[in-house]
Amino acid sequence: MTCYKKIFIPLLSLSLVAGCSKKELNEDSRGVLTANLLFTSPAGFQNALNGLYDEVRRYRSGDIYGQINDIMNMQAVIGVDDAYGNWRDPTVDVFNLWGIINAASFGHYNHVWSYLYETINEANTIINRADEAKLNWTDAQKNNIVAQARLIRAWCYRHLTNLWGDVPLTLQESTGANIKTDWERTPRAQVWAAMRDDLVFAEANLPVTSTDDAQLIQGAASHYLAELYLAMGKADSAKIEATKVTTNPAYHLVTNRYGVNAAAPGTPFTDMFLDGNSLRSQGNTEALWTVQNALNLNGGEGYNIMRRYWANRYYSLTVKGTDGKTTSPIQVVAAAGGRGIGRLSPTRWMLNLFKGIQDDRGSNFSWHYYYTMNTNPPKGFKIGDTVRLDSTGAEKLSNPNWPSTAKWDWSSPTNVLIDPQYNDQFIIRTGETYLLLAEADYDLGDKQGAADAINALRARAHAAAVTAGDITIDFILDERAKELFSEEDRRYVLVRTGRWLDRVKADNKIAAPNVQARDTILPIPQPVIDANRTKPMSQNPGY
Amino acid sequence: MSMSNCLLRLSSLFFLSLLFPGLLLAQSIVVKGTVRDQAKNEPLAGVTVQVKGATGGTTTDSLGHYSITVPDRKAVLTFNYVGYTAQEQTANRAGALDVALAASTASLNEVVVVGYGTQKRRDITGSVVSLDHSRLENMPNTNFAQALEGALPGVSVTTAGGGAEGENVNILIRGQKSIKATTGPLVILDGIPYNGSFSDINPTDIASTEILKDASAAAIYGSRGSNGVILITTKRGSNGKPVISYDGFAAEEKIANLPSVLTPQQFYQFKVTREGQASVTTSEQAVYDSKKFPNWLNLATQNGSKEQHGLSIRGGNTTTKYFASVNYLDTKGVAVNDHFKRLSTRINLEANLTKWLTYGTNTSLGYDNRSGLPATFSGDNGAYFFNPLTTAYDSAGNPTIYPWPQDTHFANPLAPTLAINSDNAYQVFTANYLLVKFPFIPGLSYRLNTGFEYNQRRTSTYYGRNTADGLANNGDLSQKNSNINNTTIENIVTYDRTFGKHAINFTGLYSYEKDLTNVDSLDAQQFPSDALTAYQPNVALALQPGSAYAKRTLISQMYRLNYSFDGRYLLTVTGRRDGSSVFGANNKYAFFPSVALGWNITNENFMEHNTLFSNLKLRLSYGSNGNQAISPYQTLAALTTRNYIDGSLTAPGYIPSTLDNPDLHWETTNTANVGIDFGLLKNRIQGTLDVYDAKTHDLLLDRQLSPVQGISTITQNIGKTENRGIELSIGAVAIDQKDFTWSLSGNISMNRNKIVELYGDGKNDTLNNWYIGHPIHSDLGYKFGGVWQLTDDTLHSNMGQVHPGQAKIKDLNHDGVINSYDRTILGSYQPSFTWGLANTFKYKAISLYVFVQGVEGTSQINNLLSEGGVQAGVRHNTVIKDWWTPTNPTNSYWINNPQSNPLDVHIVQSNAFVRVKDMMLSYDFSSLVSKAGMSRLRLYVEARNLFTFTKWKGLDPEFSSTQQQMPLQKEYLVGLNVSF
Repeated sequence: MTCYKKIFIPLLSLSLVAGCSKKELNEDSRGVLTANLLFTSPAGFQNALNGLYDEVRRYRSGDIYGQINDIMNMQAVIGVDDAYGNWRDPTVDVFNLWGIINAASFGHYNHVWSYLYETINEANTIINRADEAKLNWTDAQKNNIVAQARLIRAWCYRHLTNLWGDVPLTLQESTGANIKTDWERTPRAQVWAAMRDDLVFAEANLPVTSTDDAQLIQGAASHYLAELYLAMGKADSAKIEATKVTTNPAYHLVTNRYGVNAAAPGTPFTDMFLDGNSLRSQGNTEALWTVQNALNLNGGEGYNIMRRYWANRYYSLTVKGTDGKTTSPIQVVAAAGGRGIGRLSPTRWMLNLFKGIQDDRGSNFSWHYYYTMNTNPPKGFKIGDTVRLDSTGAEKLSNPNWPSTAKWDWSSPTNVLIDPQYNDQFIIRTGETYLLLAEADYDLGDKQGAADAINALRARAHAAAVTAGDITIDFILDERAKELFSEEDRRYVLVRTGRWLDRVKADNKIAAPNVQARDTILPIPQPVIDANRTKPMSQNPGY
Repeated sequence: MSMSNCLLRLSSLFFLSLLFPGLLLAQSIVVKGTVRDQAKNEPLAGVTVQVKGATGGTTTDSLGHYSITVPDRKAVLTFNYVGYTAQEQTANRAGALDVALAASTASLNEVVVVGYGTQKRRDITGSVVSLDHSRLENMPNTNFAQALEGALPGVSVTTAGGGAEGENVNILIRGQKSIKATTGPLVILDGIPYNGSFSDINPTDIASTEILKDASAAAIYGSRGSNGVILITTKRGSNGKPVISYDGFAAEEKIANLPSVLTPQQFYQFKVTREGQASVTTSEQAVYDSKKFPNWLNLATQNGSKEQHGLSIRGGNTTTKYFASVNYLDTKGVAVNDHFKRLSTRINLEANLTKWLTYGTNTSLGYDNRSGLPATFSGDNGAYFFNPLTTAYDSAGNPTIYPWPQDTHFANPLAPTLAINSDNAYQVFTANYLLVKFPFIPGLSYRLNTGFEYNQRRTSTYYGRNTADGLANNGDLSQKNSNINNTTIENIVTYDRTFGKHAINFTGLYSYEKDLTNVDSLDAQQFPSDALTAYQPNVALALQPGSAYAKRTLISQMYRLNYSFDGRYLLTVTGRRDGSSVFGANNKYAFFPSVALGWNITNENFMEHNTLFSNLKLRLSYGSNGNQAISPYQTLAALTTRNYIDGSLTAPGYIPSTLDNPDLHWETTNTANVGIDFGLLKNRIQGTLDVYDAKTHDLLLDRQLSPVQGISTITQNIGKTENRGIELSIGAVAIDQKDFTWSLSGNISMNRNKIVELYGDGKNDTLNNWYIGHPIHSDLGYKFGGVWQLTDDTLHSNMGQVHPGQAKIKDLNHDGVINSYDRTILGSYQPSFTWGLANTFKYKAISLYVFVQGVEGTSQINNLLSEGGVQAGVRHNTVIKDWWTPTNPTNSYWINNPQSNPLDVHIVQSNAFVRVKDMMLSYDFSSLVSKAGMSRLRLYVEARNLFTFTKWKGLDPEFSSTQQQMPLQKEYLVGLNVSF
């Protein structure tokens, strides 16, 4: 046996040990980009900012990345006084029916919450790492990048505080080492303070204008500061910030016809919304923050679905001929604004705001009140005949016979039927800042100032001027609806002014019987509560 | 030759040798003979004949003949053949020594592949089961997994969907242990880990299949053994004249079952009742008025067909043996345009280069052609529930682009059949070995195994403007080219000696494995025309190329010691240490030990006079196995691409997508196993009973993080699961007459799976549907409690104000209010037990084989009974139901109304089933044609999936609850086996 052992054991150990290299087990991650690899140059920080801008763009896309349904901003724009859900599906239903289905388990809320915190984490990563990175860049270069990230972070907390009240405040990049299961809801005032710090920094470090449409500018920071101060009850500060925008010639209101459609019939107000006119570089001085999309360009596919959700289904309209047979005489064409699926619609109250008055914002260029027959006319009609939409009826569900806004009209030059849209859009514009100014003036008791601000918009819209005596908070809210229908986060404005419940009950006939005071603040998504395993997180009252 | 005949002949040989001791002279003699299959009396080719204790030996030729030189008459000859009971015979004299080997599932001397070597069945201490030869050899399988279904205890094979390739199967050994990490078993093909798909293995090439189930048996594959191991061994060459065999069959396939959807007229009424006349669009009305309805299901399906032809040649001489085969499969599925073609070749070669050096290779080349996309069955454009008030073909006879002109969201379910699709894959799988038997140390050998697996697959799909997708994008091309490149190197040292009553077998291993995947892809849109289809990406206006790379490495060391004393007491000790690249820097390595004991009770003296048990063996084992089956790079904080634009330029963008976890380590399962192998009445009844308890800890789990974190999940080692079960398999010869035999083999198994712990706080994870104390796969929801009737107090119900006809929900906690506390675990995906029973009846040359399998005690949500799928505006068809109306106050289904089920309660149905899986009638002409030089001629007809007995209303009880998969098919085959 011993002689065997002499040969056997060395042989065995040789075969078992040979080639046992530690290096072989290192992860060969040549195809994986990590933060440590990216944040090593100013260009890397710019790449991260690009990712952040893509996140912002998703606000007008589906609530799941790359999807074209359940628009992310739905909770902010319907279930309010001026718009309702013109369809029945599990997401839209909540903002019509409220009650038992407006619950923590509603998946869309979790998608929105997760999206906002994903964006915050991206911003935090840029902000934290810019401080730590030892790069060969100037303070101005660095502060410009940080300012953009901080403005977007404040923008996320703006949504969170408006929708849910007190929310966890995190200003640190998430890592495997700082996973928390004991998040706390930070009092809203503290979150506001952090937002103010971010916006003040942004205002100080962003350029007034930029030749680069992708770059955030100072006006956006001032605008959001004005809005934040209104929420904080600091109308005087709000007025100062709003005035910075309204008095800056670089941000002046668009009051004349311009751009791609200037020679054709139209209005200055609606020119801004046309593809080719939305950006500052295209002549839109009023734009304070724009997002870009492009067809057939890597990175341009933002899946913007504003038209898809707001434009109605005119192709489903039916008209009865003189022989009693009905046809669908309108097919999808670019002239009719492209193909929408009519999920979100104005309330009758909204449509009535423009009844019998002169106002560009309520004109045929701004709204689709009628369509033109372009196929299969029923007996007794011909192609080119007009089909007028219901002008007096009540809101109904799945109703194609109902006007819709033309602000989001767009169709692909190559195929009119495709679902997403690829035009550039602005997120905020000076027109809205005027209304923030009006609200600040009203809060300060300066009704004349408020009337002046509103009249600046009315003059541009060729509408009758108002006097100080007309000004009430509801009047300002009505004016906002006229100017900003489907653009603004309507719910936030109504909640900020304490008018949400009353105005929904009065003006949104579909939701009126179903809403209650509880619904003013939304339920914290269940996954947020469930994942907080080591510390209970309080739910908003009534849920 | 009958059993008694054979015994008589053998025993007379034995007595002759006793009577004439003088003949046993000590000189080398030549022994010749024929080895036959005991039951069929057919010659067996390729049987290894060796002199016990010596190296070398020979194998039988095509006619079962052998010839071997033995040193003297006392020499003992061993006859080994995989899948057959090995025999030992004393040479006694020169001349004829005919042997009949018995094929058996669990015979004691059967040689079993156990991983890094072979063992005799009687020496095995772990839980190792072999697949019944008849499931492999004589069955017309096109996919190896088909042979496993229901055939073995503790091995669950479920068909998750239909399709030409038959690849949609899941294999689970002893229940689901992992949640995130893969649950499929490790497959070892000819000794080398196989990562390809089962459909690339030609089933007729397979000689034997073993499944390692308990910790001890699987421990040698420690790192990846926790889900069990399947060892597949392909056929080897034989000694003698070449044997040429043809195995082929042709089949017709018919759809097994389809859901009963509303007729177009019923659908029209359904729509009007549900949403009013106004919901009917003008084009739907026009189709309704014209009465020209498309039958989408008929258009999307067809009668399928299948044929397979295999030719093999097997032969060799004392130094070189070969097996070569070529196999062609062509399947046309029951879904229109669903094809699968496979061409595979194999060369298995073994050469004894010197007395001490053997070289061998088992190499297969394969080609798969999956070109052609089937019609759509699931999703919005799925044929099952497509709106019947639409138009399938335009006036020119082409499938319409938008079958419903008023709703262009819907594309034609037949659109994929118009796509220009090519999908070709090429494989090389080669397992090579060099075996060194050290001449100066008896019993010591060294083996070098090298394995190389290469798989290249290229898919290209072009949707032209004749489809909705192509029209929307002006041509839509997607191409993918993937290369999989796996290398294995193993060094194995074996020492196998017997010292008196002590037998030792030691195996030592050092192995290295590298798996590499490279994928290049291209998505292109906006083409000037469709003329050049996929061959014009250079002129596409929108292009998105992609590239992916993944590599994983595994380094392992393993020792195994088998010790047996006097054939009575058996001990196996195994230790394996594995290092995997996918884990954190300090957690690459883990050690997986196991120990097993065996006791051959029938070999004890006190059992000498027992007549009941011909075999009784007790096995005990305990040990741990690991699981590393997660994707590489889970330890890193990665970013994902989110590009933006700046003017007309792409602005490359990234956002964080995962968190780093340097602590990631092995998932480990500890299994205790107690087993009894028994043979009764001279092994006329044989069986195996195993009881096990497998506890898994450090589960690799995608933990849900608070959405506040900004990243939704992280892979961590948390949680515990447990699987406990009993498995019984029994084989018996019920009738054994001269001309008629009836043998049956059956198995029954029970597995109880549950989550023991998740995050360490005793709380469930409702986000992932994981509930402590319940099986991993569970659903939580409200329980359907009938329908609110006119006589109920609908104004003040426990659901608030309801309307008659709405669905009732059971108030499970009896608090008078329906809320989330009334939710419960719905149904059970876990069978109370599963079973399989094979019956073989043989009358002379005719045999009938019937295989039945069953799954008992499962129930699942039937999504076909939920109406969310029809969508607002009634855009989809649905199955026929007994809707509530005031005049039909049923409790079985609610009113046809969009608001009838506000909380979306699901209906749970039993999906237990009994399936007559195989019925085969065959006639064996072998004895008639042997004079014509043929060793085998067999003709058979078979029906597969002929009957399924179930209460399930839908597509197939085995399919998951969406029930929109491609339909399952019934097959009717006729086949032929010929050998020369």
